[in-house]
Amino acid sequence: MTVTAPLPAARPRALTFGNVWLSLALLAVMLLYPFVFGKALNFGVSTLVFAGLAMSWNILGGWAGQLSLGHAAFVGVGAYTMTLLATPERVPAFLGGPVAPWWGALIGMGLAVLLAAVWGALTFRLRGSYFVLSSIAVALVLRLVAINEEFTGGSEGLFMPELPTLFGLDLFDRRVEYGLALAFVALTLLVTHLLRRSRLGYALQAVREDEDGARALGIDPARMKLVAFMLSAALTALGGSLYAVYLQAFEPHTLLELPVSVQIALMAIIGGRASIQGPVIGALLLATFGEVFRTVFASANLLIYGVLILAVTLFAPNGVLGLFRRGGRKLGTAR
Amino acid sequence: MDQAAVTALLQTLAQGLLTGGLYALIGTGLSLIFGVMRVINFAHGDFLAIGMFITLALFRAFNLDPYLSLLVAAPVGFALGFVIQRFVLARLGDRLSEGSMLATLGIGLIVSNTLLLTFGAQPQNINVPYATNTFQLGGVQVSIPLLIAGLGTALAIAGLNLLLYRTELGRAIRATAQNPLGAELQGVKTTNIQAIVFGLGVAFAAIAGVLLMPLLYAFPTVGENYTTKAFIVTVLGGLGNLPGAIAGGLVLGVVESLGAFYISNNYRDAYGLVAFLLVLLLRPEGLFGRTVKRV
Amino acid sequence: MRAVQTASLLVALATLTAASAQSTVKVGAVTSLSGRFATFGQMQRAGFQVALDEINARGGVNGSKLELLLEDDASDTNKALNAAERLVNAGVPVVIGAYSSGITKPLSQYMARVKVPLLVATAVDETITKPGNAYTFRVNNQSSIYTRSLIEQLRKMGGMRTAVILTSNDAFGKSVLSDAKKLLPGGGFTVLSQDTYDKGLADFRPLLNRYKSQNPDVVIFASYEEDAVALAKQVKEVGLAPRVIAGIATGFALPEFLRGAGAAAENYLVTMVWNPDVKYPGAQNLYTRLKKALNGEEPSQHAAQSYAAMLAAADAIRRGGTDPEGVRAALAQTKLNTAFGPVSFRTYGGYQNQNSVVGLVTQIQKGQFVTVAPATAARGKVVFPKPR
Repeated sequence: MTVTAPLPAARPRALTFGNVWLSLALLAVMLLYPFVFGKALNFGVSTLVFAGLAMSWNILGGWAGQLSLGHAAFVGVGAYTMTLLATPERVPAFLGGPVAPWWGALIGMGLAVLLAAVWGALTFRLRGSYFVLSSIAVALVLRLVAINEEFTGGSEGLFMPELPTLFGLDLFDRRVEYGLALAFVALTLLVTHLLRRSRLGYALQAVREDEDGARALGIDPARMKLVAFMLSAALTALGGSLYAVYLQAFEPHTLLELPVSVQIALMAIIGGRASIQGPVIGALLLATFGEVFRTVFASANLLIYGVLILAVTLFAPNGVLGLFRRGGRKLGTAR
Repeated sequence: MDQAAVTALLQTLAQGLLTGGLYALIGTGLSLIFGVMRVINFAHGDFLAIGMFITLALFRAFNLDPYLSLLVAAPVGFALGFVIQRFVLARLGDRLSEGSMLATLGIGLIVSNTLLLTFGAQPQNINVPYATNTFQLGGVQVSIPLLIAGLGTALAIAGLNLLLYRTELGRAIRATAQNPLGAELQGVKTTNIQAIVFGLGVAFAAIAGVLLMPLLYAFPTVGENYTTKAFIVTVLGGLGNLPGAIAGGLVLGVVESLGAFYISNNYRDAYGLVAFLLVLLLRPEGLFGRTVKRV
Repeated sequence: MRAVQTASLLVALATLTAASAQSTVKVGAVTSLSGRFATFGQMQRAGFQVALDEINARGGVNGSKLELLLEDDASDTNKALNAAERLVNAGVPVVIGAYSSGITKPLSQYMARVKVPLLVATAVDETITKPGNAYTFRVNNQSSIYTRSLIEQLRKMGGMRTAVILTSNDAFGKSVLSDAKKLLPGGGFTVLSQDTYDKGLADFRPLLNRYKSQNPDVVIFASYEEDAVALAKQVKEVGLAPRVIAGIATGFALPEFLRGAGAAAENYLVTMVWNPDVKYPGAQNLYTRLKKALNGEEPSQHAAQSYAAMLAAADAIRRGGTDPEGVRAALAQTKLNTAFGPVSFRTYGGYQNQNSVVGLVTQIQKGQFVTVAPATAARGKVVFPKPR
């Protein structure tokens, strides 16, 4: 038996809230941003990329309840695949020449799915803390490969080559990048909304709340988590490709480090894992804090992450968005 | 094998064991906390950094011999851990495990950034005259500070064993580890016991920091490296398994040393990580899971 | 009476306005004042400040005071890009920065897109100027300079045949390793071992033991900043005693290395591109001023590089005006003699807009860096063979 038509009342407690209107409102704000702060597009693009990454992370970390501190690996897969395939001197000979960045990004997503499938199949037998530890280890091994192997450009990393234009748009124009980053966030929001209404979404919610109960309902928890992992990986890799276009140059020592994974996870957790838009809100909040703190109290700028994460775990386990739970529940139940 | 090759092998083994002893000390604190509270302490390396900086500050201010700072660092570490568990982590209540893990991540960031504000980012070290002293043992050179660190590790672990198996407190700790509710029913104040255990774990990290200081250097974010090492050590030995953590540390030290000497240094950290993954996948109870008891 | 007062006030106000209308010429800089590269950020700041004071004491640039807009990147790439954008918005015609190569590479790409020149003062990664771009100029050297000058020196010292190399596994270490592998055989050396290591728990003993058993004439290190002292201590501890031990810049070239390693570092050869005792006019004076700006702390080469970068920026604005394109054109024509050494940006051997910096070889003698090569810059003689 599979779950086909769950009743709203049967939706477990600490579940998703925040509805389509909130997502649309957030997107509208982001759409307006360049018209108001047209001169701070670097901040805008990187913040949106990380917002999308946090949303992607949350499909695994929030929906499937599997805390990963290794998502930098997927950012890396996306960034490296796209860049390597677009670089004439590095693209594998059998492809007969550089691959357009959008196809490269798609291939990167495919590779990320493959990696997640293997990684997940091996590690989902591990529960709780063990999965977190394994995610750190896998990401660190990939980092060492990127540093030590020749085909990845080694520790000197890669420079983005010239890219073809997309429908006549220059991919290196910050306004175009902003549009793409916004589309990326919109996509992750859309996927999350669809997921929430899908069979997979209901199954994941059931698994997260009560794994044994879900199994009794005929749900295969390991398979559900695996699908969520693959979805999360694909979106993260897409974000990685976009991030590479934005940076135009990256090294394994800056892209594949543990702090990158931690940063993505913390944005989602601080924003609210159990909500739909929490990760976006967390990313916007932390990025803004980071920028204010950079220019105001230079040295302490990571201190705020520590203080916030501690405050959230102590006082707001459902994240910042969870603080507005009451209002949120109202929004959440609006169909 | 000729004489030189044998000496080189013995030398590498000896140093691997000594380095492994340090890994064991770092891992023991982490494993102890996990064994009793089922919490993975992501701030473990940062607590170690606190031990280093206490040593550094005392040396700079009073020219205090680094090993004497143990008298300060261990109690400070214990007090810090006690307070953190009692007043922060204990408040997380039922949301243990994951919530506590995230909280320790936050605490780690707070510790390292506070150190950054206080001491600055540059790596700092103390130059004691005996830092590079060695003695010969059948052609094998042994570093004196490394040997002291090894002896310190052995003493600390022996002390912990005495505490766990020869005292009332130890009985209470073991009872709390096995069944917190049952222990509570038997009149054990588990919240206090948990705070004591967290204090002990942090004190172990701080001791390791002190012992490392004459050999290496301190900088505010140094903890990240040690946290990962501590994870590897404890998983190799089985999370929560104290003798396992010791063995895991020694194995890691020897494997890394042999690998670096005979194979290649480029993937040195990967040896540990891959072993770690294999153990996680094949024997989550650790390499020594079945043969030895837990805390 | 009252009217006079009012009038004089008005005059005073008018002068003030005129002064502020004449205003200042701005130059931007991005460096790591906080975070893990903060040591170097402080050095950079001191270098900028000393240059700024010098320029303004001489009347500024084209009659206006030179003003520095200094932004902190918190040792983070995204924050560096945000900071650079702020500077570009503030209308600076040139930006100096950043400290690390990992941050500088994305920065150089961005600056080229917005068509504002970037003046690199400390980042040594080869790829920053090879191939580089039309808007990126580098005052300091590319990493291969260090290796070349060292091997030249080793060849001159003569009588050595074998070498081992251990480097960090970041871009800097890897390029030192590949240069050394290329150049050592040409200098008559056989490479017995070549290793890289990851940042982390700095236990070099197994490697040093292997080197000891191979008994090389020369041991070459390029480490992460923090590891230089640990390396020197462990070399002594395992009893590795080759004829020459050489450290390539970074951690070895810091004053902190002398203090931390003490006697263990005696007679090491250390390559760098600036040292207070170097025979450039004004070097000693620059050292005094930098030390003052650092509140008595010993300045490193990074401070001197940043000083030179600020002079080059001011000079380019003087000749090219406050328009980025004008400054870019002027930078390409730069010909300066500074206490850091000559500065000019040329395109050669695959590099673009790269200053040719003379690589110095220093030797640690009685706890001090003494420049021993090249002859034009040297103050002392190399001690060799290393007393055992």
